[in-house]
Amino acid sequence: MKRKSIFGAIGLGLVASVIAASCGGSSSSSSSGGAPKKGGTVHILSMGEQIAHLDPQRNYTGTDLAFAASTMQRTLTSYKYAEGDAGSEVTADLATDTGTVTNEGKTWAFTLGEGGTFEDGSAITCADVAYGVSRTFATDIITDGPTYAISYLDVADYPGPYKATADQQAAFDKAVNCVDKTITFNLKVPVADFNYTTTLTSFSPVPKALDTGEKYDMKPVSSGPYKIESYEIGKSLVLVRNDKWDQASDPIRHAYADSIVYEFGLDPSVIDERMIKDAGDDQFAVSESIQPENLPTIFDDEAFKSRRVDYYDPFVSYTNLSVKNLSCLDVRKALYLALDRDALRKAGGGPYTGDYADGFIKPALALDYAKSKMLDGLNADGTANVEAAQAAMDAAKTSCPDVAKHAADGLVYYYPDTPVWAKAIAIWIESEAKVGITIKGSPVEASKYWPTVMNPDTNYDIVRGGWAPDWANASTVIPELFATSGGFNLTRNADDPDYAAFDAAVTAAKADLDRVSQGKKWQELNQYVVDRLWALPGTFLKSQSIWGSKVGNTYQWGPYGSFNFGELSINS
Amino acid sequence: MFLFVVRRLFFAVVLLLAVSVFTYLLFALLPTDPAALTCGIHCKPETVLANRIRLGYDKPVLEQYWQFLRGIFVGRDYGLGQTAFSCPAPSLGYSFNQHACVTSLIGETFPVTAFLAIGAFILWMIIGIGVGAIAALNKGKWQDRFATGFAAVGVSLPTFYIGLLVLFSVVIWFQILPFPSYEAPLDNFSAFITAMILPWLVLAVLSAASYTRLTRNGMLEAMNEDFVRLGVAKGLRLRVILRRYVMRQALIPIVTIAGLDFAGLLGGAIITESVFSLPGMGRMSIRAVVDSDLPVLVGTTMVAAVFIVVANVIVDIAYGFLDPRVRVSS
Amino acid sequence: MTENSVPVLSVQNLRVSFDTQDGTVHAVDGVSFDAYAGETICIVGESGSGKSVMASSIMRLNNSSTATTEGRILVKGLDVLSASEEEVRGIRGSEVAMIFQDPMSALNPYFTVGKQIAEAYVVHHPGASKHEIHDVVLAMMIKVGIPSPEKRIDEYPHQFSGGMRQRIVIAIALINNPKILIADEPTTALDVTVQAQILDLMMSLQKEFGMTIILITHDLGVVAEVAQDVIVMYAGHIVEQSHVDALFHAPTHPYSWGLLGSVASYGDNKRGGLVTISGSPPSLISLAVGCSFHPRCAHSKGEGSVCMTVSPSLRSVGSDGSRSACHLADDVLVSVGRGGFRS
Repeated sequence: MKRKSIFGAIGLGLVASVIAASCGGSSSSSSSGGAPKKGGTVHILSMGEQIAHLDPQRNYTGTDLAFAASTMQRTLTSYKYAEGDAGSEVTADLATDTGTVTNEGKTWAFTLGEGGTFEDGSAITCADVAYGVSRTFATDIITDGPTYAISYLDVADYPGPYKATADQQAAFDKAVNCVDKTITFNLKVPVADFNYTTTLTSFSPVPKALDTGEKYDMKPVSSGPYKIESYEIGKSLVLVRNDKWDQASDPIRHAYADSIVYEFGLDPSVIDERMIKDAGDDQFAVSESIQPENLPTIFDDEAFKSRRVDYYDPFVSYTNLSVKNLSCLDVRKALYLALDRDALRKAGGGPYTGDYADGFIKPALALDYAKSKMLDGLNADGTANVEAAQAAMDAAKTSCPDVAKHAADGLVYYYPDTPVWAKAIAIWIESEAKVGITIKGSPVEASKYWPTVMNPDTNYDIVRGGWAPDWANASTVIPELFATSGGFNLTRNADDPDYAAFDAAVTAAKADLDRVSQGKKWQELNQYVVDRLWALPGTFLKSQSIWGSKVGNTYQWGPYGSFNFGELSINS
Repeated sequence: MFLFVVRRLFFAVVLLLAVSVFTYLLFALLPTDPAALTCGIHCKPETVLANRIRLGYDKPVLEQYWQFLRGIFVGRDYGLGQTAFSCPAPSLGYSFNQHACVTSLIGETFPVTAFLAIGAFILWMIIGIGVGAIAALNKGKWQDRFATGFAAVGVSLPTFYIGLLVLFSVVIWFQILPFPSYEAPLDNFSAFITAMILPWLVLAVLSAASYTRLTRNGMLEAMNEDFVRLGVAKGLRLRVILRRYVMRQALIPIVTIAGLDFAGLLGGAIITESVFSLPGMGRMSIRAVVDSDLPVLVGTTMVAAVFIVVANVIVDIAYGFLDPRVRVSS
Repeated sequence: MTENSVPVLSVQNLRVSFDTQDGTVHAVDGVSFDAYAGETICIVGESGSGKSVMASSIMRLNNSSTATTEGRILVKGLDVLSASEEEVRGIRGSEVAMIFQDPMSALNPYFTVGKQIAEAYVVHHPGASKHEIHDVVLAMMIKVGIPSPEKRIDEYPHQFSGGMRQRIVIAIALINNPKILIADEPTTALDVTVQAQILDLMMSLQKEFGMTIILITHDLGVVAEVAQDVIVMYAGHIVEQSHVDALFHAPTHPYSWGLLGSVASYGDNKRGGLVTISGSPPSLISLAVGCSFHPRCAHSKGEGSVCMTVSPSLRSVGSDGSRSACHLADDVLVSVGRGGFRS
């Protein structure tokens, strides 16, 4: 375990955050008394027909990543298997430590620990990890996964291992090279938190000889404590113990249950009814979500206290404003003050859907979150403050008459064409009309929404925003959403006079190798955006879960917003 | 007769081709973008474009359709090099969502739907015709009133609601049966029966309702026929009269309607399969609509169409056998 | 009336009523008559007179759930109305046979004619061999005059004309050599020429088999052709029963007078067209007190008379064996004389 002084600082930072985190918990938890026992079969009741992707390089959904990482896909680094804020910290998995960074964040090296094996007994080598990473580049077959390997690694023009010429493959092997058990990543940009990036299963090892390309999704080779016994889409996915997995080589996983069964294709009301009734085998089951109509049954009744939880998932919802068109802070203030957030929340399903956000970083990112100073006049209970909004609009008539007129004439709001959003738009229109702002709703077919609004040629004033960090660092939030280099910046803020300073600060934060110091920078940048209302903070989304009375170790895993599936146990 | 069959078969093939063309065209007009469905909020335009190319939707519709047609006769290849794979003839395409050839997907899901349809069919014919016959033979008495009431109620009750109610009460509240988890009859016969018994009963009882009415009315009409009176005048026993005279007439329209109903069910009893979590073709086709999975959509639509077309032909021919007056003399 | 010791059929005080939504319909209200071997009795009346119901009662064909039947019907010593189901089935098609009005719908469309004729035979000859059945059926088909029977035995009813189908119906009726044949309007649905053929066939078969024919008809021409005795029914009663000649020349009931007067006859130089009986048949639900015909009868004595207060019974009138159910039969009609009835 080689540590350099800079890394030592990060290590201290980690320890500090653990102490900080253990003093403040977030969600209510429920571990049944005593250490979890080994044995039994856990059931996961799902209304889906399949897991979207089990191929480690194609898996990008929070719940599915939690499932795959905790059962079958070991990665270089992982999140701690702990509840609360501690669960957002990085720790070693296949690697011996959380990595060695040099070259001011452009070179990262990890040494693989002893004893890691695939389900066929073969040892996990450095080449297997490199091969796994290279698959991300085969974007014609390996689709839908995170593409950080492509954006970060210092290699150009690499089409993936299936099509690469010898030269192209050689170029990749330079960017990701193996010397014995040490794998070194050469990045083209400094990435201070690359060891968080490596928690994604994009960095899981794949044995080249057993790679089946398109079909790997159905039977990926396991490096973890469980392996697939059968997978029938529409029916079930059955995992059993991987007898070739060596507990001694795995610093984080415990694999309590003997078997995990994902049951597909269940009607959502049937799932809820079974979980509520908690009879027979359902006592060993968990479900993925609860239908809104059943939430009062479960949360108003004390009988369910020990097997339910209401927690923050990783998602934030907010509203993007086109800073280019709405280049006037007074108008943006008026929009926010006049909005009836209380009505929006009610229409969306009430308090169970989430809490009013005070920014874009959720408290679960403990190092990056600080309570923001919100706009003067913004009501804490979410109701509109029409006087303050009107005052802002009046100010706008003198400070920026063109924008004020534009607001009065009609602001184009692109929204997804769904029944829920139809209700939301109506509330927007009504709220803003009270201060003379006209909202013109423009519906877009749901599956075409993001491609439409991300198209630079689409001219809008307001669009929705929703985001979850790709890993537990606000470096995947602030830069992505508000920097022009970000992948999801819908605020069009490049021409704002304050943007240049913002961009410089973001670049500095991304390169800050001191995690604590970096966290403070994100807090400031979050406040920066909130002060300028480039986007309007919306909701810190919440989820609710229920589990069977005999299931143990049911903590909600912070970074993923779901159970730590591989760690669930059965108390007989 | 031979020529008649050949002509019908030819038109059936033409009809199936038309169905496939229509499905492709309809799909092309769908507002949803299938290439954007797999990537959720991570849908960058490059991802969507990559998906579109991977799924083959960047090609013109005509070329897509031609590839599909070819595949039926010679099979279809996908990918290259180490990761190449193919779907052997008759290939109805490949589902990238389910990572399997559509033909094999149908091969797995269709038996479930078939078992559901066959079991329900047998039960509803027995219940429907039985109750209807009892009603007709006891016209005006309590059996008749009960049967008529049952028919009226059964026809109006939605399968979804009753299915859930039965599932909740039998499996969850009173735990009389374990939760249905389908297994093929040859693999685990008792699990198969346990999984199918509730959907069979729900589907059968609700379908039987209209057959009760049909049977009752058909029998009452037949019993008023002159030739039935003549049969009685011959001195035949009531049982013989019922069988050879009354039922013989009453069952003809029932059998033909039942044949078409059964064929429709073979296309997938969507609601029953969803409520009872049966991995059948109905559920798969609904999933294909939601996911915009064109190959599966086309495959299941065509299979369903085949059954409707075949059923129509069989029913036409059967009618000729059952009712001599309809036969075209050769 | 020929007397031949014991009647083959004896209907005694038959009453048949039906429960309907509008009330109880008294279709047959006290009918009694006897029939002897070899006789041909025609039953005449308009629709609603009860003749068909009465005929069906002989074999107990009425729907027992809606019909209430009283009285006795003796066939070969067996009281059909109180016999067991099995006993009644025993005489159906064997002792008593029936043919219906509409040959187009009388046969089962789903079986060949050969099978249907055979069926009638097998019911009463359960042990018969296939060969025997085939021979018997073929013979019967020849007897009723169906050409190329070996070919047509396997054809379906819809492949035969109306007249041919009626022959098949007759074949079915006669295959077991019944003592009594009830024919309910057997020629009404047929063409005139075919009518004559069927009647001829029936008569020749009657001679051959020596059976009694009860022929129901509203066609007086048929009555004149084949009847020996005639029973006239009105509103569920027998109003007149006479020998055929007596009926045509000296009817003993005003209704019979009206029927005869309403027949269009060729060559008659009646002026003013057809004579009709004014009014319409009475409701069978509320039975009138007194004579059921009196509202339409020109001879009715009116208010307070016996016509209105007492229901006439069928009794002998005159010396030629006629019976009439009219209070005035003896005096008014006899005195009015034969020929010419003015309404």
